[in-house]
Order: sequence, then structure tokens, then C-alpha cells
Amino acid sequence: MDFIYAIIPPRVLSQILVGLSRTTILFIVSSGLSLILGVLRIPNVAHGSLYMIGAFMAYSLSVLFGGGDLGFWMALIGAPIGVAIVSLIAERGLFQYLYEREHLMLLLLTFAFSLVFGDLVKIVWGTEYKSVPVPQMFQGFVNLFGGLPFPLYNLFLLVVGPIVAIALWLFVNKTRIGKIARAAAVDREMVGAVGINVSWVFAIVFVIGCLLAGLGGVLVAPTVSVTLGMDHTLIMEAFLIVIMGGLGNIWGALLGALIFGLAQSLGILVWSQFGIIFPYAAVIVVLLFRPTGLLKSTW
Amino acid sequence: MVQSTTRGKAQLWVYACLVILFLLPLILPRFYIYLVSVILLTGLLATSLNLVLGYGGIFQFHHAVFYGVGAYATALVLTRSGLSPWLSFIVGPLMSGFLSLIMGLICIRLSKLYFGMLQISLGSLVWIIVYRWYSFTGGDDGIHGVELPDIISSPNSAYYFTLIVTAICLFVMYKIIKSPFGSVLQGIRDNPVRSEMIGINVRRHQLLALIIAGFFAGVAGSLFVVVDNTAFPDMLFWTLSLEVLIMCLLGGWFTFLGPMLGAAIIIALRTFISTYTTYWALVLGALMMLVIFFLPNGVLGYIEEKVKKGIIEPVIKE
Amino acid sequence: MRKVMLFSFVFVTIFSLFLFIPSSYAQKTIKVGIVDTYTGPASTFTIDVRDGFEMAVKKINAKGGVLGRKIEFTTRDEKFKPDIGLAMAKELVLKEKVDILMGTINSATALAVSDFAKKEKIPFFVTFSKSEKIVVDKGHRYVFNMNENAMMAGRAAGYALGKKPYTKYWIAGDDYEYGHSIANNVWENIQKINSKAVLIGQSWWKVGEADFTPYITQILAAKPDFIIVATGGSGMVNFQKAAKATGLSQKIPFYQHTAIELSVLKPQGQNAPEGVFGTANYFFYYPETPANKAFVEEFKKAYKREPRIGALSGYMTAQYIAKAYEKAGAIDKEKMVTALEGMALDSPVGKLEIRTCDHQLVLPMYFGKTKKDPKYPDFLVAGDIETITGKDYMPTCDEIRKMRKYK
Repeated sequence: MDFIYAIIPPRVLSQILVGLSRTTILFIVSSGLSLILGVLRIPNVAHGSLYMIGAFMAYSLSVLFGGGDLGFWMALIGAPIGVAIVSLIAERGLFQYLYEREHLMLLLLTFAFSLVFGDLVKIVWGTEYKSVPVPQMFQGFVNLFGGLPFPLYNLFLLVVGPIVAIALWLFVNKTRIGKIARAAAVDREMVGAVGINVSWVFAIVFVIGCLLAGLGGVLVAPTVSVTLGMDHTLIMEAFLIVIMGGLGNIWGALLGALIFGLAQSLGILVWSQFGIIFPYAAVIVVLLFRPTGLLKSTW
Repeated sequence: MVQSTTRGKAQLWVYACLVILFLLPLILPRFYIYLVSVILLTGLLATSLNLVLGYGGIFQFHHAVFYGVGAYATALVLTRSGLSPWLSFIVGPLMSGFLSLIMGLICIRLSKLYFGMLQISLGSLVWIIVYRWYSFTGGDDGIHGVELPDIISSPNSAYYFTLIVTAICLFVMYKIIKSPFGSVLQGIRDNPVRSEMIGINVRRHQLLALIIAGFFAGVAGSLFVVVDNTAFPDMLFWTLSLEVLIMCLLGGWFTFLGPMLGAAIIIALRTFISTYTTYWALVLGALMMLVIFFLPNGVLGYIEEKVKKGIIEPVIKE
Repeated sequence: MRKVMLFSFVFVTIFSLFLFIPSSYAQKTIKVGIVDTYTGPASTFTIDVRDGFEMAVKKINAKGGVLGRKIEFTTRDEKFKPDIGLAMAKELVLKEKVDILMGTINSATALAVSDFAKKEKIPFFVTFSKSEKIVVDKGHRYVFNMNENAMMAGRAAGYALGKKPYTKYWIAGDDYEYGHSIANNVWENIQKINSKAVLIGQSWWKVGEADFTPYITQILAAKPDFIIVATGGSGMVNFQKAAKATGLSQKIPFYQHTAIELSVLKPQGQNAPEGVFGTANYFFYYPETPANKAFVEEFKKAYKREPRIGALSGYMTAQYIAKAYEKAGAIDKEKMVTALEGMALDSPVGKLEIRTCDHQLVLPMYFGKTKKDPKYPDFLVAGDIETITGKDYMPTCDEIRKMRKYK
């Protein structure tokens, strides 16, 4: 161990690990965004709102089930499903009629949704800060790397991240819907022509993308205060990540999230007073050298 | 023939509008004069965005940066330098145009969404600088109580100043769009590959359009300082950019006066609705959905379409 | 052709809408216009101001109003955007013809509105924004600050912390005016009292930062004795949660302004970290005076929740407006402003005075740390409360004059 510390100081290692756990949430949210972008060509600004709704639903479910561990696990299952239902209604009610519109129009349509969702959340949940407790089994921390503490909950996030990534890979590559969706991303007319009901495939992809946003919201809820406006910062970060990785490429989202999360946590070590600029600088550097993102874009 | 007479009549109406706008301070109470000033300068901002968005087909997602930089440059020259105050109204737009050149040089290689997002990251860096350079920009509190030259410091004279400057800028922008340069720009929007093939330097044209748009956004920023005597970091935050985008879309982004109309509708509704409810975002969101659903070309775009199809007949037939 | 017609038609229609809206302005009322943020994270504080104000206004009106006139108020949601806030203040003054302006939680808006109020000679009561510029650099005859500002909070905390035996300090905070102002004032005042204090490092993060873990691990690695944490809004809760999760709260003591306040502790329930130092101007459970108990009872009855600091400042603003008009003896803004200067009124936290030199309300500051209390099973409360009176921590009028001249 001492040998490793000689090369990488323990605080850097610890910072990397923290950055990776942050990456998990960024990845889950932005992979959903990327999925929708890739298959449906919708730059979904309301994705952040769905993340916020996920967090608020997590709060409600957690309270409903007594606020303890059970509450958290029920929230983990229930809130993404709740978000999925909300998104299904939005998709069937409105989006499905607008797939052929100009991208800019869709961007603004989803922005309109984010405005409406923001106010609806205020009407339903009020203005008070909400908090979801960290489940009992993940409270506290472990000492890693030279005795620096690392929260157990973040370790949990580090486990969840890969699980979601594998599940997503299985969905895209091994299921029928995933395969159709991939084909539709490349050539929509062709898929329609061979007699597949593209509309429902799109609906399912949209719902799964939004479900991921909701899942991100649930996972982040125990670490922050659940408030109105939490969608704002996140959506910008998620978009930058997706762009950095290559529009519509889920693995690009993973790569982008890694760069973003690590740039942030390591940037703090380098220049803590201006830690805030590192992720943005990373985006600029990436786009200057790879104008269409790191991985192959589906656009 | 019909086309040209329509345009001739349209011009007449524009002059009539100008005359009415000039007479407004005689009939309207002070608050409405202020409101019209804000609409005019915001409309100018939206029109300048539309120059690159609607006519240039460039995804300019962070237009507010140029607006804010124009306002800050003007406010800083007015408060911190001994230079002639009138100079500040030139420095503001020039700074915006310059920033637009630099950001344009970096972003221009990218297309569509990539362009927009890179612009947002760069713009966010500018925002961070303004937001935390306390000793120079006043940080997140902004600059307040900017002293103006006496001749434009009263509400009515500020209004006239805004009106005249806006009218001149709109006229110049209109001429630019109708010039050969404007036609090339629209050609690039419709078919960049073909424009490239017939020997047009696409990037240089787009870059020039970006600089022009940035410059006029800077003018709008300077006018904001005249009307409200302040400058805030929020003026260059990305949410404002989206709002301006909405104005273009709502009014009609393939029409020249559409953005101005969009600005008028949004600001008027905001003022009107917020006296009744705090759920203004909900109303705006719902309104936007309706417009996107039923009027994909915006309000003015819709009207124009009807006029062209002859569904609404021109009043005066020659 | 036709399009221009329609264009002007729409234009005219929209404007005539405004012109013909019946103005609710009646001669026999005193109109107060509140511009504040009722959207986003800030609204958790501003709703309290509004409700506290409303409660007091209802009470005053029930007793027959002020000089025979009822107080009437109207609110505008500025959505934390200064340009909109300023436009709304202008609308309230120029169109609704309000007599008094109130608000806002956003310092930039407060400063812009203050500048406008100065020009229009409209009394403006600042109810939640914490920038000291409002009454110090940019202070004027018509602006009154009804809550503590960042400088006051920082000085009070420095006064209390300076007496503690810590030497190695670390400063961390939200990277904006409020964060820097709090941190600088705490640090300056610690240094005045404790000559051994040294600053070993700083970290600043963006406002609204969601995850503090990377910052905390970095601070832990530096091993300071004490951390001055200058966060505001939702950052308060976020930091406390991260401090608990990483074990920071057990290892290194830290201070946050309003850390011991209900709006920060209530959302966290029993999971809030214990032993966090903080300052606050109001608790519903302290001081245990009849005046405070009565205020809490009344507020709870009306709004089904405990009052917090915002409720106090809203409540006191209404009291001051009423009493100032009564003292002036006429509905006259100039006389009212003069009457307000130096006016002292009873409040739930004792007698409060508006200073003549800077129009700042002199508030006692409570210093304490979070603890569990069996009386309140739902949330943590402040313990070991030390009351710091205005005299002890507020800059004197001489200091204010010097600061104004210096800047």
C-alpha cells in the first residue's frame, strides 16, 4: 500500500473515489438523456425536472413508509416508476405528435415542460426543504487510504453505477426493443417500413430514459436537501456530459460523466478556490479537439 | 408587383407605428413608458439573436452573454472611468462584438447542438468571471445606481433614447438581411453544403453574422443600463438566453419583426399575469406548448403565412 | 400589409388590457408592495416573511388600522431575477401606487430596488437579503434593513468564536458575496480576539453545489482545528448532510451562520449532525418569554407551523410601519421615515431599535450549537445558547461612517 501512496498520495486516491461516486449519479441521469437524444432525437430539457420529481417522490415514499430503511428501498423502486408514469403520460399526450419537428422546437417544448413541472412540484410539495435520510446500513463511513473517511453511502453508489450500466447494456444489446431502438436511431423510416410499430418502441425508450432520471433523483436524495430548483444545475451538467461523450451514445455519456466528475473532484485538489471552472474547462478542451464528442455520435 | 406594393404599405405602417411610439409619452402613464422601453430593448436583443438563429441557422444558445457584457462594459465605463459617458454606449457594443468574435472563432467549427453547448460552456466561464470578480464587476450583487448624462436620465428621455437607438438598429439589421450578405447567410442556412460548393466561405460569413448579432446584443445591454441604471450577473446567465430564444420562437423566427412581437407578448404577459398569480412559469409553459403545437412558425409567422395564402386578404388592393 | 395591421392590433390590445384593468387602489388604505422570490429554494424563507407580515397586518386592521386607514398589501414573485424584481418594484410604485416597498431575499434585487426607492422617495424595508451594502455603502434615507446582514452575523460569530481555544482555521463557503462577507467578518473578528489563530486554507464552491464530499475529504486531509463554513440557502442542509456522512461533524467542529436555525434543522429530522456551531436571530423556543410564546402561539394557530426568522422580520416590519405612521400623525412618507429613525418597539425577542445612522434594526444574536432535545422529537434544536447583544457585535455608527467614506 505504501508503494502506491508513494506514486499517488492518499488524498488524491480518496478524491478520485469521491469523484467516481459523483460520476455514478451524473452517468445515470445523462445516460437517460443520451438514450432519448439518440433514439428519439429529443434534447429533453425536462430531464432535469424529472430528476427533481424523482427526488421529491423519494421523499414522499420515504415518509409514507416510516422514514426508515424500508422507506428508502421503497423509494428506490417506487419513485423511478412514478417518474416513468409521468413521462409516459407526457409522451403519449404530446411528444409522440411532435417527433418530426425541428430540434430547436423540441428543445423549447421540453423547456416549456420543465417550467410546468417546476411549478407543479411547488404546488404538490410546497416550498420547504425536504430531506431523505440515509438508510441505516449506509450511515457512517469507512476509513480508506491513509485514514481518510469515505461515506458508506458513496460506496453504495459506486456499486449501483456499474449495475445500471450493465442493465442498460443488456437492454440495448440483448432485448428486442433495444435492438429495434438502435436500428431506429440509425434509420427510422426503414424500421417503420418493415412493419414494426415504431411509436410504441419510442414510447418505451422515452420512458426508460426518464426512469433513469428518476433513479438519479432517488439516489441523490439522501446526500442533499431536496429543493425546488435542483433541476437547474443538473440539467446543464447532464447536457454538457452528453455533448462531450457524443450525442446519443450511452457509453459516451459514461465517459463524459467520468471526465466531468473527476475534473470536478481533482480540480478541487489543484486549485480549490476555482474548483468550479475545471469541469467547464474540460468540456471546452474536449470539444476543441473532438468537435463531435469523444465517441461516435448517432446524429 | 403585389409583393412590392405590400412591402411599400408595410413600410408605411412601420412609419405609423414609429409615430405612435413617439407620441406615447404624451398619453401613457410613466409605468407603461418604462414597460415599452423594456420591450423595445428586449425586442432588439431578440431580433439580434434571430439574425443568426432564424436567418443564419446557427444554434446560438447563449446570446445573453453578449447582452450582459454590453451592459457591464457600459456600466463600468460610466461608473469607473473618467471617459465621456457617450463613449460608454460605443464601448459596450464593441466589447460584445469582440467577445462574439473570440467565442465565434472557437465555436464556429462545430455544428448545431455542439455549437450551442460549447457556447454555453464558454459563456458560463464568462459568467463565472463576472460573478466573482468582486473588485471589478461588483460580483453577484451587480452594479447599481449608474449615473447617466442628464439629457437621458429622465424616464421620458431614456425612453426616447431607447426608441431612437432601437429603431436605427432594427433598420440597420433589416438592411443587412436584405443585402447580398444576408441572402448568402440564408443560403447557408438552407443548404450549407451547396453554398460551400459554389465557392462561399461559409465559416467567414457565419462568423461575421455572429459578430453583428453580438454587437447589437451589446447595444441592447447598453440600453438596459439607460432604462434600469443597473447591471446584474443574471443578465449573462443561460436561463435568460433560453427566454430570449422563446421570444424569437413565439413571435416567429422566420420573420423580421417576429422576435420583437415575441418580446412584447412575453414581457406584457409576465407583467400582467404576475399581478394575479405566482405561477407565472406554469402559464408561460402552457402557452409555449400551445404555440409549438398549433403555431410552429410563431405568431407573426402564422399571420404572414395566412396573408401569403390569401386567406386573410390585404386591406387595400392596388 | 395586413400583418402590420394585425401586429399593431395585437400590440394595442395587450396594452389596453393593462390600461383598463381596474386598479384596486382605494384612497383609504396604506398600500404595501412586496417584491420577493416565491419560486425555487429561496421560497422556504420568503413565505415566512409574507405570513409574518400578513399576521401582523390582520391584527392591526382588526383594531381599526392606522390613523383610520387599513393596511393592504400585494406580492410579486421576482423568481430570484433582479431585472424582473426591479421591473416589478417599478410596477408597484408607478402603477399600483404603493406607499411602501418590501422585500427581497435576493441582494442584487434589493440593491437595485433600493436605488429606485431612493430616487422615488419610497420607504423600502429589506426583509431577508443579507448584503451589508444595503445599509452601509449604498445606505440612504429611505432604506431600512429589518434583518441581520452578513457583516453582523460574521462579527457576532467572530466575537463568540474568538474566545474558543482553536488555532488552525479553515474557511470554506459558497462562492458569492454573502459567503465571502460572512467568512471575512468571522475571520477578522476571530483574529482581533485570538492572536494565535492562523488560516491554513480555503475552499469555495459554486452556489447550489450538490455534493460536498470532495471538498470535505480535502479539508479533512489538511486537519484544521475548526472550519468556518459560509454557506447559505440549501447549501446549509447539503453541507450538514455531507459532514455527517463523512464523519466530519464528529472530527472537526465547524460553524455556519443559521446552522442552528429551524429551516436548516427541521428537514433533517433526527439525522442532523450534533455539535455544529451556529448563529441565529430567532428561535420559537428561545427566549422563553411571554411575548415570544404568545407570538409563536398566534403564528402556529394561523399557519400550522412554527415561526422562523423570516416571520419575525415580516411581523416587525408591519409593526414598524403602523407605529411610524401613528407617530408621524399623518399619512406622509417623509414624516414616517423621520419617525422610524431611532424608533424602538417591543418584539418577541425583546426591545428592538432602528438605528438613526444606518437604518439597521438592532437585533440580538444567539450563538449556540445543535443538540438533541427530548422535548422536540422531530428535529434538533440549539443548545448552550449565548446571547450576544447588538452593542457587543454591531459596528458602531462611527465605524459605519468610516466604512461609507472609505468605500
